[in-house]
Amino acid sequence: MNIVGVSACTVGIAHTYMAQQKLEDAAKAVNDQVKIETQGTIGIENELTEQDINGADIVILAVDVKIAGEERFDGKKVVKVSTATAIKSPNKLIAKLHELAKQ
Amino acid sequence: MKLFWKRANFKGHLLTAISYMIPIVCGAGFIIAIGMAFGGKSQDALVMGKFDFFQALATLGGKALGMLPVIIATGIAFSIAGKPGIAPGFVTGLAAVSISAGFIGGIVGGYIAGWFAFAVLRYFKVPQWAKGLMPTLIVPFLASIGSGLIMVYIIGTPVSWFTDWLTSLLNSMNGASNLIFGGVLGTLSIVDFGGPINKTVFAFALTLQAQGINGPVTALQLTNTATPIGFGFAFLVAKLIRKNIYTHEEVETLKSAVPMGVVNIVEGSIPIVMNDLVRGVVAAGLGGMCEGALLMSLTGGEGATVPFGGFLMLPTMGSNWWVGVLAIAVNIVVTGTVYALIKKDIPADELSASGSVAVEEQELDFDDVQVM
Repeated sequence: MNIVGVSACTVGIAHTYMAQQKLEDAAKAVNDQVKIETQGTIGIENELTEQDINGADIVILAVDVKIAGEERFDGKKVVKVSTATAIKSPNKLIAKLHELAKQ
Repeated sequence: MKLFWKRANFKGHLLTAISYMIPIVCGAGFIIAIGMAFGGKSQDALVMGKFDFFQALATLGGKALGMLPVIIATGIAFSIAGKPGIAPGFVTGLAAVSISAGFIGGIVGGYIAGWFAFAVLRYFKVPQWAKGLMPTLIVPFLASIGSGLIMVYIIGTPVSWFTDWLTSLLNSMNGASNLIFGGVLGTLSIVDFGGPINKTVFAFALTLQAQGINGPVTALQLTNTATPIGFGFAFLVAKLIRKNIYTHEEVETLKSAVPMGVVNIVEGSIPIVMNDLVRGVVAAGLGGMCEGALLMSLTGGEGATVPFGGFLMLPTMGSNWWVGVLAIAVNIVVTGTVYALIKKDIPADELSASGSVAVEEQELDFDDVQVM
């Protein structure tokens, strides 16, 4: 499966990147393609291209705050969680995404 | 009702605003701290030739910090209504400053401005030829005048009374109540390691800092700084009493968690706490309690002028810097010693069983998953 997403937390220096790491590790563990954009205090890193988004089966937003460019995902299946959920239960979250993408 | 709270997303909008505010507070906080440390005072106006360099610094920082209600209101309104929320949020935030409703006024005003803009966008229908006027004139005008007047005539005054009452209450607190207040603050700051309780306390402490009460936010952040170091200290204490409390994997985690703690990021210690939640929380909570109580009672509620930065906050505490150092040290020693004592000894053969402890993962919280 092909997953794209965005992570962003309040202070924008720790949880954002922990959530990115956890999601990428969990997705790779089940052989998914994955790319997570981070919107920390430093700005947007690892930015998703239009190609990335078009090719995605599902979009995961692990965000505590309002993010930039949410309209890019219009028409996609979007799942929104807090960064805490992505950090605490990444594998179960990815499994849930598989389930949702099939619906 | 539950759905309403979730839809309204009060916390999410506030956190968004705080995320925009933190860099401003840190930048301005350090500028004013340097200026004031060298005798500068924030001026009402800078007239060429009538001020020195440090007064310039103090004024730069002071003016920026005085704008915090505006920033928080603009941030909240932006989070609710997107770009059209910025103008009404800004106007309402300034209204809150003008009527001395302070930071709390800014928060309330931000929600009102954001929802006003959102409502105008959604329910105000205009003919096709006027579509261009919608974002440039209609939304900013209607939402700004509506929420601005609500701030000035309805909520501003009661909020400013409340702010005054809270400020004078906290300013008048003496040793014993500062001790208790600090203890409670320190404990709440750390019990969920940067989670929702911590963020709520942070928002509350920032509110107070905007009113010039710096103790609470200092108590909170020094606990966040000391706790990861405390878990590192526990390693040393455990070695001293010939006990193994960390697996090899956890020791690796500590190597990054401790330096992160030094710069005020508590989250690095989460993986360690997750492996033994109850004992971790007890040790961190006790440490935070001692730190908060000590800091608040010895400084009489004074603290750092910046709300973030770990050890970097200490220079901004003025003559109280040594209390900050002492508070961090006490926090480290208490957390480290308690954790080393109450943690179970790990048998030597399980020390390298990396992963076996850490694989367990929390159940997915379905309340938190929104499919759109």
